[in-house]
Amino acid sequence: MAESQALFLTCRDSLVRYLAGAVGHGETARDLAQDVFVRVVAATRLPPTDPERRAWLFHVARNIAIDHLRRERHRRADALEAEPVAPAGSGPDTALMVKQALAWLDDLGRDVFLMREAAGLSYAEIAAACGLTPDAVRSRIHRARLQLREFLQQPIQTARARPLRTGLR
Amino acid sequence: MHDVISAFLDNEPFDAEEFSAALATPDGRQLLVDLVALRGVVQPALTAAATQPAASRRTHWLGVAAAVVMLAGGFALGQWAARGNSSSPETAVSATSAPEPTANYRFEPGVNWRETSSTGGH
Repeated sequence: MAESQALFLTCRDSLVRYLAGAVGHGETARDLAQDVFVRVVAATRLPPTDPERRAWLFHVARNIAIDHLRRERHRRADALEAEPVAPAGSGPDTALMVKQALAWLDDLGRDVFLMREAAGLSYAEIAAACGLTPDAVRSRIHRARLQLREFLQQPIQTARARPLRTGLR
Repeated sequence: MHDVISAFLDNEPFDAEEFSAALATPDGRQLLVDLVALRGVVQPALTAAATQPAASRRTHWLGVAAAVVMLAGGFALGQWAARGNSSSPETAVSATSAPEPTANYRFEPGVNWRETSSTGGH
């Protein structure tokens, strides 16, 4: 129980960032993070090492996000709402454009990208969380980046005009 | 595929020769800079999404604000109407005069009621 809580608290911020990117809404992400917490504390046994625990935690989170998105898609289909539209590459709200661009990615591509960019997981951890090989993760992340590069041309050009940094924040 | 550039950006092991070959072309160098810029675009957006305030709370406060505006508006309208009514003499007279009775009932002692003596009473 204490180990589970410690694991959750250690990863909570990155977990919420990943979930917010996956479901596109911060408040929903925080609610889903609570669902993850319930699952984690209910687990009878945790993986032995920290990287394995992180991978397992994000595996749980991913399943919860997938369930949520599936329900949302059913709800949208019932309400005859449109599918997300590919951003045109211009517009004042970069955060909204990023959200739309992420929604345009396939689910697995979005997950591996977010686990890296939002949560800072290594390729090996992402591979364990998503049931892939590290090489497949590397390929998937790169493909997601190429797609996002296309979608976000205008903000990227704007960002290039400012000093850049390579590291994750 | 140039995914070696992603591996480099993510601090993952990569093949130096492959990376060197990727950067030997203008497209590869352009891609490297674009992906660094992409990170600069995506990271703040992800942080903003994670700290986004609750829509339900916004809706709640909007509801409260709407209720306050409606109450204040209703009160002001009532005040205005009251001032308008009190300035009219005809309305003031009709407001103070009692309405005409629709029926009269008369009760007489010994007919409609009878006084009885009680112990300790009057």
